[in-house]
Amino acid sequence: MANPEFKQQVEKLISDNQVLLFMKGTPEAPRCGFSMRVVGVLDSMGVEYGSIDVLQALEPLREVTGEISDWQTFPQLYLNGELLGGADIVEEMYESGELAEQLGVEQPAEPAAQPEPGQAPPLQIDQS
Amino acid sequence: MIEQALPGAEVEVIDETGQGDHLRATVTAAQFEGLSRLDQHRLVKAAVRERFDDGSIHALSVKTAIPPASSAPLPGADGSE
Repeated sequence: MANPEFKQQVEKLISDNQVLLFMKGTPEAPRCGFSMRVVGVLDSMGVEYGSIDVLQALEPLREVTGEISDWQTFPQLYLNGELLGGADIVEEMYESGELAEQLGVEQPAEPAAQPEPGQAPPLQIDQS
Repeated sequence: MIEQALPGAEVEVIDETGQGDHLRATVTAAQFEGLSRLDQHRLVKAAVRERFDDGSIHALSVKTAIPPASSAPLPGADGSE
């Protein structure tokens, strides 16, 4: 069982932020391709969102989100306190226009933004 | 593994890196009927949880679909809400 205080903190974050992304790294420097894809989608839609770098506390957050949402992998995107999904679902919803509808924004005409050329991608170390 | 958890499912797995640890799975199963996309993904992930836990898979992309004309009763499906 997750630490109840920690779980409460996470629940509060989820309820306090209309759009909240649990991700590896930060929107400026994602540390995982899946997280980067969700950031790209959200940025292309011009949505404001809160983000939490799960690498600060990966295992406790896995446990807590498992208990809260029955979902243990990251990224996780929450809207109005509810889990929308991980990268695959978010992208599917983006492509179908469902995401724009749920977020209450216009579907952008451009495809999801890719990192700007010239900007080095974050370095990754495979810890296997 | 996915086929075991979802009997009758059509599963296509693509090894994205050639090393077997970053996979992309497309799962078409009648058991998904009536489930939210989240629940569909939960079923697939639960089926492969062991492989994540033992480290043999690092990343899995999932795409789920319901087969066309899946009006037949679902064997073993727990349809209760």
